[in-house]
Formats: sequence, structure tokens, C-alpha cells
Amino acid sequence: MSAHGVLAIPPELGYWSPCLVAEAVGQLAAWSAMAKVDFQRRPLAGIAGEVRLGSDAGPGAELELWIAIEHSDGDAVSYHGSASFDGRTVLELERCVGPMFPMRDYDDPDAVRQRFDILCGPGEATDRFEPLQRACMAVTDHDPGRRLHATLTVPDVAAFFADHFPRRPVYPATLLLDHQLELAQRLAVEAGATASGGPGTLTRVTNAKMRAFVLPGQTVEIGAEVKSQGAGTARVLLTASAAGRRVSTARAELRTGE
Amino acid sequence: MSGQDTADAMSGDVTQAEIDALYPAVAEAIADALGCETDEMRPDASLMAEYDAESIDFLDIVFRLERHFKVKIPRGKIVEDARGDLPESDFEQKGYLTDLGYETLRSHMSEVPDERFTKPMKVADIPRLFTVETFCKVVARAQREAQQ
Repeated sequence: MSAHGVLAIPPELGYWSPCLVAEAVGQLAAWSAMAKVDFQRRPLAGIAGEVRLGSDAGPGAELELWIAIEHSDGDAVSYHGSASFDGRTVLELERCVGPMFPMRDYDDPDAVRQRFDILCGPGEATDRFEPLQRACMAVTDHDPGRRLHATLTVPDVAAFFADHFPRRPVYPATLLLDHQLELAQRLAVEAGATASGGPGTLTRVTNAKMRAFVLPGQTVEIGAEVKSQGAGTARVLLTASAAGRRVSTARAELRTGE
Repeated sequence: MSGQDTADAMSGDVTQAEIDALYPAVAEAIADALGCETDEMRPDASLMAEYDAESIDFLDIVFRLERHFKVKIPRGKIVEDARGDLPESDFEQKGYLTDLGYETLRSHMSEVPDERFTKPMKVADIPRLFTVETFCKVVARAQREAQQ
């Protein structure tokens, strides 16, 4: 099973990142998986085996989204997919897995079904996007070019919680990853600060795994640590924990410009 | 094939030779899923206790094994296979293994050291027993089913 979609990024949107492109591709897969089980269950952030970054695309771009479902039932969905703009690949997702949870715990199945009809028909109104409210981040430990830790304070209230999810708000995994990648990017810039060629550019994320939900108002300790560096690439381990529990793990590769 | 392997094969159980043949690829898939090096893996180590594996890791492992070996491994397959033909009420009651369920599980998961089986045992705690060899057996059984 495969699905196509279009995401028009509003030109006036103040903040955009590759993580939001990944979110859009993942959402397309999620809708397909939910429809397959008549909206009785829904996938929640799970695993992205590999995310490869390509061309840039930001506000004003109209992204072509595509996914192929490899497996989908009431327990889990696995898929791969991509986003492209003007015929160029913006992002590719491989080996993604989402565990399925009871829809009723998170949203009204009938409301979700109706929204699916809109998406499959006229599409969502373009003014539905709210400016993204990012969490507050404060650096707690910094070894330049090697290690960076920060405390992330998730907002109590944000527009995206209305969708994610009405009955049980959960901080989106992609936004958490976005903050972790910001730390990784800083490290990569520091590691290749004197070189040219786009130091700090994210090229790949692997084994991104969401292990626990992050709730509104929660404080999360996030970290990025360079595990190896060479041939113009820094490999960075990304971590997140809250209340003494691992929340997510991932690895990122960034150009250092060496 | 050893005498024990011959007996296992005749009884339909997975042989040590099958486990040994699958072990390198299974260990590599599990190590990748857990962010470890393959040579850090031990065949009978508890994946939860010694490598901090969580339920999302087991989901990851199962999909990795399915892709690598091109087999289907239904979620919950290990417990389902352990229960075998036993009616569910004979296997577990109120979330705990019955005495018969406990002995059936021990027999099915013979790769797990005896001291890790504790009584009473919650069905939800069965994943604490999982080892690399457990997944070798899962793959071996899935391969057999695919050939039938």
C-alpha cells in the first residue's frame, strides 16, 4: 500500500526545520495505518531507522509526500517514504515503525475519521498552521565540539497539543528531536569552525527511537555528544531523559566542513 | 548434528545447530537495535537487564529480523508459541502464569538460565527473560513455518 500527499508550507511561517518535514511524511503513514483499522487504533512516535536529508525546502514550498506501508495491523505499522520539492528529494525515511495504541485514549475516532475525509478531499485549510511554539532550552553543560547538554522545558499550552492529541496531549517526538539536533549542530559547527562548506549541516539521523511520552510542562534533559569525527563528518549521539527515565535515543551525522 | 540436536529436531524443537547458524546475524540485528557492538552481546544475557532493552526495542528487533531473514514474526509470537495448545486459562490467570503455564514457559524457553524464572511470574514480565538465543529460536521457527 502506498499513499501520496501534498504539504503546502505557509510562506509566512516563522520557523521550519527538516524535523517538520519528517513529521509530515510520518503523518501520511499514520493516516494510512489508522484508516486500515477504521480509526480504532493509531500509531504513536516509535522508530525512524534512517532519515536522510537532501535539498532544502522551507516556508512557501509545496512538498510532495509519499509513503509505502510495508506492514500495518492493529499492533504496529512499518513504512518508508519521502518528501520532495520541485523534483528534488528533501528527505527520505527508511525502516520506520510505529506501535499502535487505542485511538479512544488519544482522540475521538469519529472526529479523526471526518478529518481524514477532508484530507482525502479538499485538504486542510492553509490557515490551519499556527506559528510553532518551541520549548525553552537552557544549556547546562558544554564541552565545545564534544558535548552539549541542556534542559528543555516543554510548554504547558501550545497550539499543536490540540492535534497531538486532544484527549492526551503529548509533546511531538519530532520537536524533541529538533532541539537535540540544534545541540548537535552547534557541536558540529564548533568542530569545523574554521572550515568552509556548510559545517553543521545535518545529513542523516539513524536509529531514532521514542521510548516514553513527554507531557506538557515536563522538563527534559537533552544531550548531544560527538562519538566520532572524520572525513568531514561528525557522528553524534543524541539522548533525552525525563524524571530519571530515558525518553529518546538517536544518532545524527553532520558535516563538519573539515 | 549431536544426539541432543537429533532429538530436538525430531521433537520439533529448535536445535543448537540452528541457533548457532542464526546467531551472528541475530546478534548483529539486536546489537544495532540496542546501540551496542555485536561483540558486546552474550547469547544468554537478558536483553532487558543487561542491555536496557525496552518494549520499543523488541518491536524494533522483530522488524529488523523480519527484514533480514524475510520471515513474518507476529507480535506476541514468543508468548503465543510458549503457550502452544494450552487454553489461555490454563496458561495464565489474572495476569500471572499458572503452575502449568510456568512449567510450559520454562520448557519452551530452555535457553534462559533457570534462576531467572521466578514465581509468581507475571505474563507482562516474560520479556525480561528474552535473550539473543530466544530470538534465534523465534527466527528458526518462523523459517520452518515459511517452508511448510
